Amino acid sequence: MGHTYLDCLAVLGIGGAHPGGLKLTKEILSGEALDQSKSVLEIGCGTGQTSAYIAEHYGCHVVALDNSNIMLDKAKQRFATINSAVETIHGNVERLPFADDSFDFILSESVLSFTDIALSISECQRLLKQGGKLLMIEIVHEQPLSEKEEMKIKDFYGFSQLLSENGWVRLLRQGGFEQVSVEKHAIIFDEHDLKHATEFSPSENVSHEYFNILKEHEYLSNFYKDNLGYRIFRCSS
Amino acid sequence: MSVEHYHKLCNQYMGRAVRIRTHDGRVHHGIIRHVDRRRVYLEPIRSNRNLGGFGYGYYGYGYGFGFGIALGAIAGIALASLFFW
Ligand SMILES: C[S@@+](CC[C@H](N)C(=O)[O-])C[C@H]1O[C@@H](n2cnc3c(N)ncnc32)[C@H](O)[C@@H]1O
Repeated sequence: MGHTYLDCLAVLGIGGAHPGGLKLTKEILSGEALDQSKSVLEIGCGTGQTSAYIAEHYGCHVVALDNSNIMLDKAKQRFATINSAVETIHGNVERLPFADDSFDFILSESVLSFTDIALSISECQRLLKQGGKLLMIEIVHEQPLSEKEEMKIKDFYGFSQLLSENGWVRLLRQGGFEQVSVEKHAIIFDEHDLKHATEFSPSENVSHEYFNILKEHEYLSNFYKDNLGYRIFRCSS
Repeated sequence: MSVEHYHKLCNQYMGRAVRIRTHDGRVHHGIIRHVDRRRVYLEPIRSNRNLGGFGYGYYGYGYGFGFGIALGAIAGIALASLFFW
């Protein structure tokens, strides 16, 4: 196990590791025509909070994919406690192990920034049925950062790129998504909102290093709070 | 996770609202006010509008920091207003 930000999320078993957490996920999904007849793929599912919610709430067929065994194990443990079935698959978002036209919806919550974005986008496009939709939550930079600052953020988090809203739209278009709708939400904290609190499902042995990574993350995201934000992208061909 | 790890986590998120499940199945809500080597002390949250239907949990050990929960009894923990990319 290395000591990267993603390792830290996996070892601490952070559920809802994306801006807005489960609360935003629910909001995004409520705007879509999801029902039992739809097939859903969640890429980079992490501990599986969102996949579990979709399976339980909408009764869809859900496939949850991640490339971290630690995350997948925690997701499987979660899925074993719910009444709906979720399929789990170990795989890489840049080369997804599915046939063309397999899904009605693909969901990606804070995942593509950690991958080769153009490759991942074209994979999603390939897997979607006609009329299918890619729903994403991703980090953006609101104002340009200096090269040094950008490097620092990319290095710490392990982002392949740190894009602006326009940068994302450009890559999505190039990847074959002609219709891209973008929503901007502010980062608002309700400090007492325990209903949507961040769950931890930590592993048995947690190296001290991961607590330092948490600290560094808190520090960086606070320091750059005016420069960094996120967007919701709803994309179809 | 061990007692030591919960100690670190609670220290790191001092002042934040937390939901703690203990091995006896109870759920506790409150603001982390103090942590020592054996317990974490929570101040009850007055308004329950955002507790999501959970009860208030258990109020033992009134040491001025609110109620104490043995770190060794913690089965699960969730923290409010955390944020991840
Ligand atoms: C910031 S976490 C978000 C997890 C989850 N979507 C959530 O909101 O809680 C990013 C996730 O993407 C996964 N991931 C990163 N790169 C990946 C890749 N190339 N293929 C598959 N999964 C990947 C990580 O293992 C991690 O679970």
